[in-house]
This record gives sequence, structure tokens and C-alpha cells, in this order.
Amino acid sequence: MIYTLRHRTTYRYGKPVRFARCSLRLKPQDGEGQSVLASAVTIDPSPTTAVMRRDYFGIEAVAITLDTPHTTFSVEALSTVRVERRTPPEAEAGQSWERVRDAVVASRDLGGRAPVHFLFPSGRVPLVPDVTEYARASFSPGRSAYGAAHDLMLRIGADFRFDAKATNVRTPLAESFALRAGVCQDFAHVMIAGLRGMGLPAAYVSGYLRTVPPPGRPRLRGADASHAWVAVWCGEGWLGLDPTNGVPVRDDHIVVARGRDYGDVAPVDGIVSGSGKQRLKVEVDVIPETETQDFSQPGLALVG
Amino acid sequence: MEAALASGAARAEAVESPRERVARWTAGYRAASGRPDEFLGPDGAPRGAWPRLLDHLGALTEPEILARFVSAERHIRDAGISFRISGDQREHPWPLGCLPLVVEGAEWRDLSAGIIQRAELMEAILADAYGEGRLVADGLLPAAIMAGTPEFLHPLHGVAPPGGHYLKLYAADLGRGPDGRWQVLADRTQAPSGLGWALENRMVLARTFPDFFQDLHVERLPAFFQAFREGLALGAERSDPRICLLTSGPYSSTYVEQAALARYLGLMLVEGDDLVMRDGALHVRTVSGLKRADALWRRIDADYLDPLELNPASRLGVPGVIEALRNGSLVMANMPGSGLVESAALAPYLDGIARRLLGEPLRLGHPRAWWCGDLEGLAHAQANLDSLILRPAATPQRGAGRDAMLAPQALAAERARVVAALRDRPFDYVAQEAAPLSTMPGWERGEDGGLVLVPRPFVVRVFAARTPSGWQVMPGGFCRVSEREDVDPIEMRLGIRSADLWVLSENPVEAPLIGSHAAPRVRRVGGHLPSRAADGLFWLGRYLERTEAVIRLVLAHLRSVGDAVGTDISGALDTPAALALRAILYEWGAIGATDLPTARLAQEALTGRERSGSARAHIVSARRNAAALRARLSGETWRVLADLIESVSLDTERTFTESQLAGRAERALSQLAALSGLTHENMSRAEGWHFVELGRRVERAINICTFALSFANDEATPGCLGVMLSLCDSQISYGRRYMQGAALDPVRDMVLLDPYNPRSIAFQAEAIARHLDDLPALSADGIPEPHRRIASRILAELRSGEAADFDAVRLTALETDLERLADGIAVRYFPAGPNALRPEKLTGLA
Repeated sequence: MIYTLRHRTTYRYGKPVRFARCSLRLKPQDGEGQSVLASAVTIDPSPTTAVMRRDYFGIEAVAITLDTPHTTFSVEALSTVRVERRTPPEAEAGQSWERVRDAVVASRDLGGRAPVHFLFPSGRVPLVPDVTEYARASFSPGRSAYGAAHDLMLRIGADFRFDAKATNVRTPLAESFALRAGVCQDFAHVMIAGLRGMGLPAAYVSGYLRTVPPPGRPRLRGADASHAWVAVWCGEGWLGLDPTNGVPVRDDHIVVARGRDYGDVAPVDGIVSGSGKQRLKVEVDVIPETETQDFSQPGLALVG
Repeated sequence: MEAALASGAARAEAVESPRERVARWTAGYRAASGRPDEFLGPDGAPRGAWPRLLDHLGALTEPEILARFVSAERHIRDAGISFRISGDQREHPWPLGCLPLVVEGAEWRDLSAGIIQRAELMEAILADAYGEGRLVADGLLPAAIMAGTPEFLHPLHGVAPPGGHYLKLYAADLGRGPDGRWQVLADRTQAPSGLGWALENRMVLARTFPDFFQDLHVERLPAFFQAFREGLALGAERSDPRICLLTSGPYSSTYVEQAALARYLGLMLVEGDDLVMRDGALHVRTVSGLKRADALWRRIDADYLDPLELNPASRLGVPGVIEALRNGSLVMANMPGSGLVESAALAPYLDGIARRLLGEPLRLGHPRAWWCGDLEGLAHAQANLDSLILRPAATPQRGAGRDAMLAPQALAAERARVVAALRDRPFDYVAQEAAPLSTMPGWERGEDGGLVLVPRPFVVRVFAARTPSGWQVMPGGFCRVSEREDVDPIEMRLGIRSADLWVLSENPVEAPLIGSHAAPRVRRVGGHLPSRAADGLFWLGRYLERTEAVIRLVLAHLRSVGDAVGTDISGALDTPAALALRAILYEWGAIGATDLPTARLAQEALTGRERSGSARAHIVSARRNAAALRARLSGETWRVLADLIESVSLDTERTFTESQLAGRAERALSQLAALSGLTHENMSRAEGWHFVELGRRVERAINICTFALSFANDEATPGCLGVMLSLCDSQISYGRRYMQGAALDPVRDMVLLDPYNPRSIAFQAEAIARHLDDLPALSADGIPEPHRRIASRILAELRSGEAADFDAVRLTALETDLERLADGIAVRYFPAGPNALRPEKLTGLA
């Protein structure tokens, strides 16, 4: 499937901002079942400096500074991506979770792609004993790592309520877990904490979700902005699981970046010098190629 | 120091020879079994340098020794050397014990070689971890230990440290192991503290026992500090680099030592808000504009250093500062990420790494440890849970406090939790052998009231600095000694004393005791004033002046009512002057209601703890500002401020008579005068002084305007005019100049326009203009800056005006202009003016 993606972020400030320093992580991931056919970012006002850097985890970030006073700052990323992922394995296939865990602990790889970095608590995903206990029910001895993770995903999907009003971007994990509610970010963070609590490396994946519901199937949630889900290390590679929708990741999910938690992959992140209020608006369009050919086709859902 | 000892009556002693005295001190000294002791060896005989030290002490009688303790204690108080316990607002006087740890030269040289080897080893591990990663790839170090440490800072991976080194200061906490040999209890590489305490301890003892240093050949510290300072500048791009010490601020538990180090080493003491990244380089915001910072000695943990690339919640750091390390424009001590090698989990691997990277075995050992992520380590830990300490592997080797060393703890109580933890994530833990700390002698009062020596658990921190000629170990150290045998000196707190470490050389030491031996460059001003310090000094001046105004209002009210006592009290309370006084106090938030009885009103306005405008509230604010300026204010200033707070802290449960309250208010006024005298006579006429004075002058001018609007308006009664004169402390001058009573125009002229009266607005305006003239201008185009234009306008208005013209309209206009001037000064010089450039995080799920 080929997608055209548009991601526009606009900040409006109450008072002029004289200086800003930001990181933009908007280019979709190249590789692991995806190829980026085209990608461009438009920034307004035009940045004073812009440097592309690949961070330790391999995430491409554009670091910019702005020193022209401005009251509006907008970033628009346009990309075209081909997604052709392998079919996810059978739920109970693969190595046991204990074996996967022990191999990661004994590994001699400290590179940025090594799963060992995703085994420990991170800024937004502390280890919460209650979450570990919740996860434990999926981890019977000898069960396959993927099977346990898949089961945990289904349980979170069933036990948690999708509620955009219950949490915000700064809600701590323990709180959204106690509420059993939140948005994709909260679902993903809870699942990551559970997997890590049991000793499995788990990553936070940011990206987009195709939102046209197939006939007779419920509409997938979480596509009003960017989406987030989980990748779990199963011994030979990362496998994507979307706890918000209770499905393994296939060609409807477009990966932008994979990090330890939201903090590593935030699409727009930075610091401005100013004292006024800020308002944020995000518009995202995920347009499958088959649909772009005919805009009048009924059932087309442009989300923005 | 040993306060309990010093305060007791000196023991009347019979004539006792020095030898007998020492014998009596040590007669009951027994080292606890299983605990190596500094003074007595395993054979029970005194060891090393201790007999030399004790013989020397024995030459002093006990009253003489106690007198020296008292003198040391006084010096500590006078110099304001204090510390704060984490999470506690109060400061405690620094607890220095009077018996140093003594080490002989030969033993010290051996120990130093071990320290230097360890520093080199840590440097090599860091270079590998942030570079090639051979140690992990070759199996000498588990990847999960490195990845599991929050101090493995990914943004620093592949960033070569400017100047070539990760570590410029290394510290190790030492004690003696069960075999009696020195061992490392903890490595400190993040931002080691204690160097300043070691220096302060040495300064106090140098004053208290000056003869000992000479006679015992005690190695001196200044050469080390000089070399350390040169090391901080190594690798800087400019030849005369500006070196800053980055502190987390006055509420840090070690702020006093940071301020002391900045002063001693001549570094600029800065907080995160003082610094800003511009054009890829780090700069300090000063009143003369942005000035380049070339080297930074950070005393905050790396995680807080850069909210953009590290912990986004940090308010202590500088957004983007990591970029200056990437482009090589800043040298930093120590490199962010250096905390990695503090990890408790490294211990089992250090010897193997030393053999690989340095080609030699580890010289200095450490308590045996087992990482539980390793199957054998886990098995050992599970089998020996009762005799081991379990520590989090991911955290540095420390306990509750920032610099604490985890003490042996019984695991039994938490056994279930520990077993569960080892089941789910064993790799998060390190098991370590539990051994009690070794002991050194401390003073105590014996049963007969005389001094005796007893063994006390201790930890000593030693320091190594990277200098232009390689690593150098400071010939001294900083001991923490417990006052009780059963309490370990985990961190500085009550019940723990500090002690100096003396290295006793075989030969006489010819070096200055305190000062540096390198000839310092002569300078008259201490460099550019950081904007934040200017802000603090300005507000210090304003708060002190506002305090004085409140006290004068209270006194005026007490007097205006008191004068009428005996005639008709209720009438006196209703005079226009008394009403206006109460109205101002109410408006300023000094009192909660205007109809309080006179004494109650005075007490509330002076002390009121719930009143944001009471005299006490203003002094407390002044002291808060002064706390951040510790390095710039004298100890005397600090003490007078403390006295001042005491003067206006009245027991709210008690009632006071009006004359008692007037007495307190007058005492406070004298103390305020003392403070202003101190600024006047003792503060260097550098930029800092101008800002204290500007704050005072601006505040005073505004207050006089406020008073004149109430007491010298067109309807002012003679009573009001009298109050006006007393608020401006001008009754005496007025009485001398005019024979008749207070009249409107003469009073107005005296308090508004008379440039010879130090309590007039005109006098303040002239002074403000002079101070502004002496401060740096930002541009060289000759156009006056906006705040200068306001100051000129005010001056012209006052110079050209006539008393009769200053009605309410003109006074209000003048007051507005003065407020504008205060804002203008803030905009131009301070970081948090209305155009504040405080960084704000972009938020929202984007």
C-alpha cells in the first residue's frame, strides 16, 4: 500500500516569540517493511539554522533555530511511503519469553538498535509494580514472547476505555493505569511498562493509522492526530502491536519513529523564549494511493 | 566545635605530663572487633602518624584544647560556613571535628597511585562506552549494565569531549576493608562535592592549630587548587577563558561550599538562568550584555543540564548546551554522562577491565560485589541473602541522599520484596558483601569529665584533578565521622561531623598554608556582573528600603497616637494623620484591618506572618535574595540580617506595650542603618554595589511620593506635615532650618526637591542618575537607553520644579515615572523583566 501523508502542526503564541529551538521528527521510517518514496518539510517562518541529525536510536531529527520574532510557527511534513509488511506470526509462535529475556540480558550489543536499551524504565515509562502484576497474567511459564505480548495487548484493549478527555500529554503512567482510560499514548505506555516489568524489551512507536473502515468492521480509533503503538522484541526482531485497537501492526500502520517512550519520538519538540500563552493545532491526513485517484469516491475519510 | 565538650566546664587538672595526658586519653581506646581502626593496628599498637599527632596534642592542656575548639567554632559562625540537610530549609553551622585523620607520606603516596589508576580507568571506560564500545563487544562488561544506567546519556554518544577528557575531577570514598587495606567504597565522577568543605576545614584548622601544620610537616593544599583551576581551563578555545561554576542555586545542600569554591578559585558562580546558547556557543547574561563562557564546572547532575536533549522537565539547565559540546566551543567538567561509571554494578568487572585497558591489575580494591543479571551472580546472591547488601544496579553507589553511601542494612524485613525483585528483573540488582566501616579516633568526655578518645566509624573522600601535568591527588581530604559507634556517616547531617585529612610528610613543607603561591593577576573589579545577581542585589536594596518604610510608618503611628495620650485617645485615632498612616499600612498589606488597637496594629505590621507586607515579610524576602548572593556579601551583612529578623519576630501569642513595640521598631531601624553602613563602607564600588543602591534609591523615591500624596497634599494638616517629616527622618533638619512649625511649601521642598537632603526625592534622583552613568551601555551609538531617558526626565522635573506646584496630579505623575524607571532598569539589566526570555517548553501531542 502506498500512502500520501500530510502532518501539519501550528503553534500560535499570545506574545511574539523572539527565539526558538526545536527538533522535528516527522520523516517516516525507512526500512522494516517501509520505503519512503518522497519526503519534505516546510517550516514557517523560515528557520535561521537547520541541521539534520540521526540520533543514537537511528531516528532522523531536524534541529532548527528561529531568531525572527514570530507569533505563529507552523511545520508541514508531506511524505509518500510504501508499506509492505510481512504477515504477523501466529499469536503463540516463536521463542519463549524467558529465553528472549535471558538472551537480551546476556547480549554483547550496546548499539543504538540493540533491544537491551528498551528493557529499562525510561523518562515517561517508570516500572510500576501494579502494572507488572497486571501483565503477569499473560506470562505463563514457557509461553512464547509474542503470544504473551499479544495477549497483554488484547487485555489492555478490552479493559481500558478510549477517552480523550481522561488524560493529557503529561498524565503519568500510573494515573492512566489506575483510570483504565486514556488515548493511544497511554495505552502504549501502559503496555510497555507491563512488558518491561516482565523483562521483555518494548518500544514506543509513533506513526499514523489508515482510517477508512473496511465494510462491516468498526472504525479504528486514534487517527485524529498521529497514532502510537508498541513494538515488542521477540528474539529475532521487533513486532508491532496496537493496544488501542487490539490488532497486530500490518499495512494500515505507518511508522515514523521507534523510541523508548513518547519523549524519544515527539514529532515536534522544543523550547521557545517567550512568556505568552501557546495554542496548538495539529492536522493529519493519511491518504491511501488507491483513494487519491478519485476524491469523489464515497467512504473517503480525510481526517484533519 | 565538639559543642558539648566546649560548653562544659574545663576540667581542673592536676599537673600532668604530656605523656601522661596522652596515656589517659587513649587508656580506654579499643577498636571494635572486625573493624579496622586508624589509630590502633590489629596488634593493638598505635600505628602510622598517630603517635606524632597525639604527642603534639598532649603538649596542650585540656583548657587550651577546649579554647581552640571554641575559637574554631567561632570562626565557622563568623564566616557563615553552613550546610543544609536535603529537604530542609534551615542551615546548620558546619560541624567540624577537631581531630584530623592523619596519614604518613609513604602510605599516602601508595594510596595516591591507586587513586590515579582508578581515575584513569574510569576515564578509559567512559571513552569506550561513548565511543567504540569494545568492552561490551568483547564481553568484559555486560551491555545490560550500561544500558540500564540512566547516566548512559545517548545524546552524548559519539561526542568527543572538548579538550579530550571526560573527567577533570574524580573523587573516591574510602575506608579500610576487613584486611585492613584501603578500599574504594564509592567512585564519584558525576559532580563530586566536598572539595569546598575540605578547603573550609583546612582554613579553620589553619587558624586554630597553625603551629601544628609547621611542626608536623602537613602537606599544603593551595598548589593542588591552583593546578585544578588550570585543569578546568584545559582545552578551552580562548587563551584567557571565562570559567563558570554552574550551581543549582541557594537551596542546594552544598551551595555554601560551591560559593566558597567559586570565590577561592575566582570562578563566576552561575545558575542555569544566567546562561544562554547563542550562535552555537554558551554565554553568560551580564549587565554588560552576553559574554562568552568558555569552561563550565557543573555542580548539577547531567540529566538536568539541557532540557532540550536530556530531561525535558529540568529548570536548572541551559537549553541546547549539549550543542556547544558537539561543536567543541565549551569544555565541561565533568563531561555529561560521566556519572555512568558511578554505577554499583561495575565493581565485579573493574579488575578485568584494568588488565585489558591499562595492562595492570587494579591497585585499590572495593567491597566484593555480584551483578545479579549474571546467572552465577544471581545464584550467589540468592544463596547468601542474609550476609549481603542488595543495591539497585542502575543507580550510582549511594543511598538516600545525593552523595550518600549506602550503609549495610538488614534485608530480613524486606525479604519477600527482595525475592520477588530477583525473580522478575534480577539484572536490576547488585549484591555486595556487607562489612562495617572502619573507625578513627574522636573526642568524647570520659566518666571523670576529662577528654578521652573513642573509635568512630568514618568515610574519607579524596580527590584527584586532571591538571596540565596529568592527574594530581589533593594531599588532603574530607572525612565524615559519626558521633556514634552504631551510626554510619552516610551523608552530612546532624550527628555526623566532618574532619580534615592531614598528610604528614617526612620533610618540612615549605608552602603557603592557605593562599596560592602563584602570583595572581592584579584586578580591581571581579568581572562582569551576571544579570540575575544584579536583579537580586537590586531587590535586596528595595526590600530593605521597604522594610524601613514600614517600620517608620509604624513608629509614626505609635507616636501620633502616643502624643495625644492623656487627652482623648479615640480622638487621636481619628486624626487625619493616623487615618492616613493606617490606610497606607493596610494598602501595603502590612495589616489586615484598619481598626485594630494601636499596639495590635504595630505588632501585626512589624511581625505579621500572614501579612505579605509586614516588616518581617520584607526582611525575609531580602534575606532570600541575599542567599543567592552569598558569594558577594560579607558574613557581617548576613549576621545583621539575621539579627534584624529576630528584632521584628515578636511572639504572636504575647501582647506588647506600645513602648515595647516602639523599642523594637527603633532597634530594627538601627540595624537597617548598620546594613546600609556595611554596603557603604565595605562593598566594592563595582557593578554590584550600584544595583543595591539603585534598588534602595528607587524604592525610597517611590515611597516618598506615596507619603507626600497622603501627608503633604494641598489639604495637609500640621499633624500630617509633621508625620511627613518624621517618615523622611527630616524633623531635625527642618527644625534647624525653620523656626515656625511645619508649613506646606517648606516641608514639600525639603522632602521632594532639596538635593541636599538624603531623604528627598531629588537626592534619590541625582543618585540614580550617577549610578546609571557608571553602568555599562549596550550600544556605542550615543543614544541614551530608554531607562536613562526616564531618569533624565525625572531629574529635570525635580531640578526645575517649585514646591508649590507639586499637587496630587504632579505627584502622581512623578510616582508613575518612578515606577516606569524601575521597570526600565529591570528590562535593561535583569533576566526576568517584562520582556522575559524564560524558555518555555513546546507542549501538546503534536
